[in-house]
Amino acid sequence: MTDPTAAPPVLALRGLRKQFGQKVAVDDLSLDVPAGSMLGLLGPNGAGKTTTLAMTTGLLRPDAGTAWVLGADVWQDPAEAKARMGVLPDGIRMLDRLTGAELLRYTGLLRGMPEAEVVSRSGDLLDALGLSDAQDTLVVDYSAGMRKKIGLACALIHAPRLLILDEPLEAVDPVSGETIRQILRSFVDNGGTVVLSSHVMELVESLCDRVAIVAEGRLLAHGPLDEVRAGMSLQQRFLALVGAHDLGTETLAWLRSS
Amino acid sequence: MVALLVGLRWRQLRHQLGRNPWMIVTLILTGLIALGFLAALSAGLVALRFAAPDAAVTALVLTGAVIVLGWWIGSILVSADDSLAPERFALLPVTARSLLPGLTVAAATTIGGIGTITALVLMLLGWSVSLPALLVAVIMIPLAVATCVLGARVVSGLLGRWLARRSTRDLVVTLGVLLAASSGLLLNLGIGALTTVTDVGGAFGTVADVVAWTPVGAVFGVPAAIAGGDLLAAGLRLLIAVATVAALWLLAQRLLAARLVAPIQSSGGGRVRSGGVLDRMLPANPVGAVAARSLRYYRRDPRQLVNIVMMLLLPAIFVGIAVMNGLQDEAIGFGPAVTLIPAINALLAGSIVQMSIAYDNDAVALHVITGVRGTADRAGRLLGFGLLAVPVTAVLCVATCLLAGRLDLLPASLGAALGLTAIAAGSGAWVGGFLPGRAPAPEANPFGRGSAGGVQSLLAMMIMSPITLILGAPALGFAIAAIWNPALGWVSLVLGLAIGALALWGGAVLGGRLLDRRWPEVLAEVSSES
Repeated sequence: MTDPTAAPPVLALRGLRKQFGQKVAVDDLSLDVPAGSMLGLLGPNGAGKTTTLAMTTGLLRPDAGTAWVLGADVWQDPAEAKARMGVLPDGIRMLDRLTGAELLRYTGLLRGMPEAEVVSRSGDLLDALGLSDAQDTLVVDYSAGMRKKIGLACALIHAPRLLILDEPLEAVDPVSGETIRQILRSFVDNGGTVVLSSHVMELVESLCDRVAIVAEGRLLAHGPLDEVRAGMSLQQRFLALVGAHDLGTETLAWLRSS
Repeated sequence: MVALLVGLRWRQLRHQLGRNPWMIVTLILTGLIALGFLAALSAGLVALRFAAPDAAVTALVLTGAVIVLGWWIGSILVSADDSLAPERFALLPVTARSLLPGLTVAAATTIGGIGTITALVLMLLGWSVSLPALLVAVIMIPLAVATCVLGARVVSGLLGRWLARRSTRDLVVTLGVLLAASSGLLLNLGIGALTTVTDVGGAFGTVADVVAWTPVGAVFGVPAAIAGGDLLAAGLRLLIAVATVAALWLLAQRLLAARLVAPIQSSGGGRVRSGGVLDRMLPANPVGAVAARSLRYYRRDPRQLVNIVMMLLLPAIFVGIAVMNGLQDEAIGFGPAVTLIPAINALLAGSIVQMSIAYDNDAVALHVITGVRGTADRAGRLLGFGLLAVPVTAVLCVATCLLAGRLDLLPASLGAALGLTAIAAGSGAWVGGFLPGRAPAPEANPFGRGSAGGVQSLLAMMIMSPITLILGAPALGFAIAAIWNPALGWVSLVLGLAIGALALWGGAVLGGRLLDRRWPEVLAEVSSES
């Protein structure tokens, strides 16, 4: 890999490592994401995807290594790095005693945006994501899918160059899901870069042009989609890499109802 | 099934303790407090037993009734997080009939249940005034426990649907905390009222006699009647007690069966009015946004609403006590010193600001992700708090000065109250950077298993209090001196405002720098399970 400061990829992870007690969650993980690409981060449960993204976005201090966003070190120059990325975390509470509109406005102002811009973009985002009717409802009363959507709106409001999305389409209904896909595609077509984690192979195959597969904290494969697939379906390739758990013929034999 | 459910309850508790050492500390503290109560109970019973055996029976009936009522009313507060809630069994092929015995025994073997049983056993000390009463009381213990547990189930079952609405849940929590906070004053008032009754013992006796015939006290009325030698009354009361338990059992089973097929789902409160005034009033930058958000949370988050109401209630309680003592002792009166009472709010101010991130819990991740400057976070929270605290403090100062009839002391009162509050808030902003504390999770019930924030908050308090007292000494000193020379009140006001402003600035800058360096660690601390 090249020196990240010379010709910066949009996102460069270098030797990220995190250990919780005895368990190594992420182990010496390095990864480059070039501009204008949409990277799907795949891995079984507990592979370290969320931990990696937390260390990338400044939420969790790595034991070693760092992340660079457009040449800014997340852990040395957090203000600069954070200004350039929009983040949708997973499994973290939102300030849910605000209404959807208030939360969007709050996020925009925290980002230091001018008020007029916050107001007009909030309206656009709420319309696009079909949240206009719910804009005066407290986020605590939103459904899981609506929370994802308002979270995505918060990640988009400052028009970042890099989007980091943890499970962006989980619990989202098919109609909104298509809207989100369109938003992400046009974001990438216009020079933006997306990193998203998912368990759904179909989603990654249809949306992403690059794939990274992690298991037990290590990067197993990484590159353009077709290169990683190597002629197989992504599902087969994933199972081949991660190790499928093949059930013998006698396992769960009692489950056969005959 | 019984053993299975009891085992489940205890395994859940053990896992919780294993995950969080702070919770063990809290549990031990709670246990010590409970032991203290039990010790006081037994000491009181022993004293009564030998000093006034007749009054002992009255006291036992009343104590028992209070325990039963405590379970019934307490169930409203604790029902929000029941690890053995009926909903959890909705998918399993079990019937209410098979579940209820296990759930009842499981409830009786919780910490509260064991404490209750211990208290009932200790009460045997009092029943030992007569041997037959003692024997009957022993037999009545299971019946009493069943009355407590089943009654609690029925009350929470009946109110369950109503409590599942977020707005009512918030209301109950708020009222409950306020009631607990002002219980001292209410007790004081109650005792005050009692002293006007000439025959205290007689009054208690009459009440106990009535209570012994009600479902709440009948269980304890039986041995009481035996002790009095009235076998007919004992039989009738036994009938009432048994009928109560039987009725509660049937009702609990009906409610449980209904819950198993129609689980209660927590629902929300609908739309809210979005106060656009706040947004127009405050600057459209990170500091203003954080301030506006803090103010919204003071109103919408019941845990914080309680804090704010306490800022009015705490001084009111102190004034109330001062007035009551003043009425009793005309010579001293409640003189000009009451004008200093509003300064007591400094105690709350420090904690409110210090704990503000803990109340956000892991939602504060938004501040980390957006890269908001630490100083902006601190300044915003201080501004939001100030917009509420300054008017409240001013009103309290004017009110106490009017009460004392010394409006000339207003500058001194303001100087002490505003100065100390500002200094405490500033120190809270700094301490919050390294000791953010822990609050119960936003959706958790503050009355549920004790929150582990207590110990950390205590530590923070031990740092903030000396700072506040030392930096606030000039403002407070001149305010006290102003009682004799009112002109010095102006000195207090100027010093209080100046030092307060410095403390606010220092707290925001120092606390902000800490946050800039320690955001991930602070996030991990406030979001760890408690």
